[in-house]
This record gives sequence, structure tokens and C-alpha cells, in this order.
Amino acid sequence: MADNGALLTRRAHYMATPQTRYWQDIRPGERFDTQSITISRQDILEFAADFDPQPYHLNAEAAEDSIFGGLCASGWHVTALMMRLLTDTFTGQHIDLLGSNGVSNLRWRKPVFAGDTLSSRITVVDCTAASDDSPFGYINCEVEVDNQSDEQVIALVTSLMIAIDGSATHHG
Amino acid sequence: MDKPHYIRSRWFEDLPVGEFHVFGSYTFSEKEIVEFGRKYAPQVYHTDPDGARDTIYRGLIASGWHICAIWMRMMVDYMERFATGVQDGRRNGAGVGFQDLKWLKPVRPGHTLTFTYEIIAKDERIIRDRWGIIRSRNEAFNQYGELVFSFEIDILAERRPA
Repeated sequence: MADNGALLTRRAHYMATPQTRYWQDIRPGERFDTQSITISRQDILEFAADFDPQPYHLNAEAAEDSIFGGLCASGWHVTALMMRLLTDTFTGQHIDLLGSNGVSNLRWRKPVFAGDTLSSRITVVDCTAASDDSPFGYINCEVEVDNQSDEQVIALVTSLMIAIDGSATHHG
Repeated sequence: MDKPHYIRSRWFEDLPVGEFHVFGSYTFSEKEIVEFGRKYAPQVYHTDPDGARDTIYRGLIASGWHICAIWMRMMVDYMERFATGVQDGRRNGAGVGFQDLKWLKPVRPGHTLTFTYEIIAKDERIIRDRWGIIRSRNEAFNQYGELVFSFEIDILAERRPA
């Protein structure tokens, strides 16, 4: 979150280990390839019942007549799965992801159907420092999610907050 | 009987720029925040109320994508309520994409967000001979009146048949 006021005090990084990769260790052009995840019909129905109860996400017959041509996942289900893939990848890389302050652009390009397997590619576009006493810096990333046929299903640009190495500087 | 015509029941041509709606309010519970976080954004500040105190957020916060999902639910429920009696749900189209999404303030357990929607532009492109694109600005305010979330989304609306 961009504006945490007094919450943004520099403090020990609770996750820090010798393997931790900080904001300073990430450079534009670095690319992360995530694992993959397969979405079931049950997953689609459950997410839709909770968050997006529209006929083309809940009912196969109604979905046939829709613009999608079949029962498909909510677009917000796909973005949530992207976040899971991204989170697991960053955790695996010992990168302390402290959140995101936004998404400048996102396109839903193809519907996601039951049985589809999704994977994601995250490319760092630029790295921007936050304020002097901020515990994180920003990395702006292009994120693509493809299905098992290498068709792009979503593409987005998002700004992620990455813990900085504060060990070199001490305030007070 | 004249029924009022609301978004889901109207054609693209009948949706005016400047139309404004308040979808309603939603209170986030700790349980829901943790459930969503475990499934889709497993970070301690989304999944562990105690551990979250040691993070920069000083407590549990909702995943930004959870806020998006709740926005969707609020919109669907609002549209359904006001489209009672409309048989042809196909006039309500899919989302194409969005821009300028900002998560501005943390959303914590017990916080209540109120979601607003305003039509800000109508794209004149015709998609697959049938659809137009409605751009809306969407905002969510917390119980203190602070803007916590905003974005602009493009959603298809069926054009009036020739």
C-alpha cells in the first residue's frame, strides 16, 4: 500500500535469511517463470458462487450461449491465481514481497476453461526507490499468464513492493 | 407496466456517460481475509493475524485481489437486483480489461467498504458486430471516508440490434 503513514517505520525484516534477495538485488530485465496450476470445474464454480455469480461462470448451458462459448472462470479468479503463482515464485526466490500498490493496465485476452493449466512469466521493467526511510522499493513488472496451448490469457503491468536491504543504513 | 430500466436491461446506446451508482457496502471479516489469502496470496500479512503484527502493516490486511473480487460481487448483486424480470442476461458482457488500479490504503478485518461506479466513457468501436465498450470509474471508500481503492474498467455491453 502506498500510504501507510506512521506504519512505515524501518524495522528488522522478519523473513530475512542469508539467502534473502532484496530490492537492491533485482535488476530490470530479470525474468521469473512460475510453476503451473490447473483449474478444475469445481474451482470455477466455487469462486463464481462467492465472487462472480453470473451465468457463464455458474451454468454450462447458459455459458454456451455467452460470448465465451462455454463455462469459464471469472476474470478475477484468473488474476487471483496469477497472484498465487507470483507469490509462490517470489517466496521460493527468498524475495520478501511486501504488497503491491496497483496495476496500471490489465487485459483479459482469452477465457479460462475447466482443466486449463496456467503458468506465468514476470519480467522486471524498472526499479524505483520509495522515500528515504521506506522499508521497500518498487519493481514495475510485466506479467503474462498463458494456458497449456501457450495462448496468453491475461497480461498486466503491476508495481510490486520489495523489501530493501536496510542493514547498511541506520537512522537514529 | 413500465419498469425502470437499469444497466443490465439496457442496450449500449442507452447507457449515458455520467450515470452514477452506489453498489452498496461490504464488511471484511478476518475469516474471509485469511481464507482468500491462504488460497491466492499466501503472505503472513494476509494469512496470520498474529504474525501480521510484525510486518509493515502491523496487522492482518486483505489481499488487493480480494478487494477486486468483492467489488465484482457487489456489482453483480447490484445489477441483479435492478434487472429483476429481465430474461436476456446476455446483454451484460464480459470485462475486457482495466487500467489505473490503485490500492491506496490497507483494508483490515471489520473495515466496511462502500463501492461506487460512474460511467466515464463509451468507446465507439464495435466488437464482433454486437458489443460496445463501457468504461466506468470505480471507487471504494472505507468507514472513515478514505478512498482505499480505485480503477477504471472496460466492460462489454450489447448494442441495439440494427
